[in-house]
Amino acid sequence: MEEEIRKIVGDKWVITGEEKTLYAFDGFTAVVGNPSLVVLPGNEEEAIEVIRLLISKEKKMIIRGSGTSLSGSTVPLKGEVVVSLTRLNKVYEVKGMEIEVGPGIANIMVTKSSPQDLFFAPDPSSYVVSSIGGNISHDAGGIHVVKYGPTFNSVISLKVILPNGNVEYFYPTPFLNPTSIFIGAEGTLGAILRARLRLFPKPKAKKTIIGVFPTVEKASKAVVNIFKAGVIPSSLEMMDRNIVEIVERSRFRAGLPRANILLVELDGNENEVKESSEKVINVIGKLEGEVLVPEDDEKYWLARKGAFPAMGVVSPAYLTLDCNIPRKYLPEIMTEIEKISKEKNVLIANVFHAGDGNLHPLIPYDPNDPESLKRAIEASTEIFSLAIRMGGVPSGEHGIGIEKIKTLSKYYSEVDLKVMQRLRNTFDPKGLFNPCKFLEKCEPINQVTRWLWEWD
Amino acid sequence: MGMGLEKCVHCGFCLEACPTYVITRSEVHSPRGRIVAMKLGIPSEGLETCVFCRRCEAACPSGVEYGEAIASVRKADPIKKIMHRVLEDPNLLYASLKIAKGAKTGFLSRVSEFVKEVSPPLTKEDKDAEIILFPGCLTSVLFRSTVEKALNYLQKFYKVKIYNGCCGLPHYAEGNKERALKIAEKLREEFKGKVVVSLSSNCTAHMKEMKVGEVYDFAEFIVKRDLPLPKVNAEVTVHDPCHANLLGLTKYNREVLKRMGVKIKEMEDPSFECGAGGTYFMFQPELSDKIMKVKEEKVKKSGAEVVISTSEACNLALMKYSKVLHIADLL
Ligand SMILES: Cc1cc2nc3c(=O)[nH]c(=O)nc-3n(C[C@H](O)[C@H](O)[C@H](O)COP(=O)(O)OP(=O)(O)OC[C@H]3O[C@@H](n4cnc5c(N)ncnc54)[C@H](O)[C@@H]3O)c2cc1C
Ligand code: SF4
Ligand code: SF4
Repeated sequence: MEEEIRKIVGDKWVITGEEKTLYAFDGFTAVVGNPSLVVLPGNEEEAIEVIRLLISKEKKMIIRGSGTSLSGSTVPLKGEVVVSLTRLNKVYEVKGMEIEVGPGIANIMVTKSSPQDLFFAPDPSSYVVSSIGGNISHDAGGIHVVKYGPTFNSVISLKVILPNGNVEYFYPTPFLNPTSIFIGAEGTLGAILRARLRLFPKPKAKKTIIGVFPTVEKASKAVVNIFKAGVIPSSLEMMDRNIVEIVERSRFRAGLPRANILLVELDGNENEVKESSEKVINVIGKLEGEVLVPEDDEKYWLARKGAFPAMGVVSPAYLTLDCNIPRKYLPEIMTEIEKISKEKNVLIANVFHAGDGNLHPLIPYDPNDPESLKRAIEASTEIFSLAIRMGGVPSGEHGIGIEKIKTLSKYYSEVDLKVMQRLRNTFDPKGLFNPCKFLEKCEPINQVTRWLWEWD
Repeated sequence: MGMGLEKCVHCGFCLEACPTYVITRSEVHSPRGRIVAMKLGIPSEGLETCVFCRRCEAACPSGVEYGEAIASVRKADPIKKIMHRVLEDPNLLYASLKIAKGAKTGFLSRVSEFVKEVSPPLTKEDKDAEIILFPGCLTSVLFRSTVEKALNYLQKFYKVKIYNGCCGLPHYAEGNKERALKIAEKLREEFKGKVVVSLSSNCTAHMKEMKVGEVYDFAEFIVKRDLPLPKVNAEVTVHDPCHANLLGLTKYNREVLKRMGVKIKEMEDPSFECGAGGTYFMFQPELSDKIMKVKEEKVKKSGAEVVISTSEACNLALMKYSKVLHIADLL
């Protein structure tokens, strides 16, 4: 089979031997897999040929984008073939307020390839690298979700190679929209080959307001009150004191005050922005927050977007949770998270999409000390259980992957899960695409997967 | 192996900043992949294909010191070591390039694709010189007129001595770190008590990092000493040499151009690699050509006829498709 694949893509684009390890894990580094082969097709035709060949040989495979998944959804646990689609990064068409691209294109390149007055709204913090294929398959969010919605709201149609080898276009319809089934499918229903995306007009005016708060609770209350004041910000992000300390030690330091920070972006026309900013400043002031209105706001957003990797200055590895909760519970859950941090004796830094209640507690651990990873996993289990109790969801944007498999049974009913399972079986009866992830339960392969997959 | 790579959290933020990733889109030729290979001791091809532009460092929020790690892991082969020796001796370099320029086949013919004109290095030593003018090894023999212009300009204000030689950056980048440290030692001696003005911005950056003395980039010196500048009516785009960019030196080029009244038409991503990378263009011709192609598109899209670039190897690559001038050429 390797020989046949080489014939399709050329020797240079087949990776074997020890170098395969470079494709053994992604942004979730706690579990390292073991691909049997890595293939990088150079275009759509090659990708189709390779995938059809793998299907015909009943070879299990993982479709990979830029490998930034934070739930480990590209980790080949059982010797799967990794098919990387990063080279499929063409722009096929720019027309009206739509753009059609290959799945391997980096998110940042979509706006760069669009007409000057338009932009692609969903921008996960990883937008400089993560691919559209990956964004769609995890329904990635980002700092602009609060106003423009997650990736879901910006996908118009898809071209997909299904697990039976057929290549099909899926167009939107007002009933049983088939496009949506692939959004958030984590590569388990086929491989996306092209995506037609929606572009938004760039706002005429934009303004960043920074709220500086003595306590997380006050900052959280401000989040709730901003909406109560009738403002829908284009971004509303929180950085607690812990993450501010860390970011200020990183390369992307911005000179933020050592406090709990709200970063608010307002966009629209001049009048709208002016009116909303008065309201936001008022909310912050009433909660004893200090207001900064920076001339040059870029460095603050860079600091926000670089906050996860900035964790590297304190620890070589960390878990990133992404549960969503109703906004009104923000003050409460932040207090609870602090308690869990003390009880479990782990550092928890919070930097997140506060506007849509999407938390990101970051829990560092030492990869050379399994006990520290166990503690981090225990703390994370407590946090998402708490989120579910408060009416939230276990994963808001990073996906289930291998990291959150056990949360499903806590959140969904048995019937829900059966329906999802049946869908997956209909598409991929042999379970060839991205096995042992998301809906498919496998036997743990080591102690870490046991901690992740099994309830005590 | 430690090597300061523990800070890498495998986020991938560095991927699209890396010229070899941009053209291959393969983890093997990416900073993140190279870091895994170094950490785990995997003999990956990627360790050879790195241009050593260190754009990945600028893109890394965590502050991974990639350059230092790869410089320690690479081992130069004998051919590279010989080439490095040639770079150290300006007269030998002049003689060798003259031969290479005529080469029609083989390894040297690759050099002839880039080298148009070779001149013996300019020498000058004013009595009681206050300033050392450091052209950079390639500049001294390939861009002699630039050196002349810079010298004339500086001599209006200072007594100047030219130091022809190599900064050691190619050695450091290509697995000859030991020799690079020796060169730095030698420069430290030569530069003692003097102010050094360098015409090659990447050399400037390297010498600053190696702490060889009081070194300024040409434009940096002009700005910091507030030297008078002529008005020049021109429209250009600016290339930011990678190492100089990492150290924040390229803003001085823009400042000088602004003071001269030169109109800048920015290209996209001005610090994207030129494709030359020291001796990279000779040892990795295929990748190097592809990187140059990407750069060429960015330059052409800017719409400017002239590229301002202040680093010698970059200039060679840029000259393949555009008119290239150093700041000193405008004086
Ligand atoms: C520092 C950092 C910050 C982040 N910030 C955010 C954030 O703000 N918001 C957010 O939502 N996420 C964030 N993420 C998570 C991650 O970047 C996103 O989930 C992203 O969408 C993954 O894209 P990728 O190209 O890296 O996909 P990969 O990691 O390669 O793959 C992810 C999943 O998509 C599937 N897949 C990839 N391509 C295809 C395809 N063509 N067809 C079918 N399936 C495919 C894979 O099988 C896998 O299941 C962040 C990650 C990091 C490291
Ligand atoms: S080097 Fe830096 S930017 Fe690149 S993957 Fe590692 S932490 Fe991320
Ligand atoms: S030094 Fe340049 S070529 Fe090498 S890994 Fe970093 S960005 Fe890529």
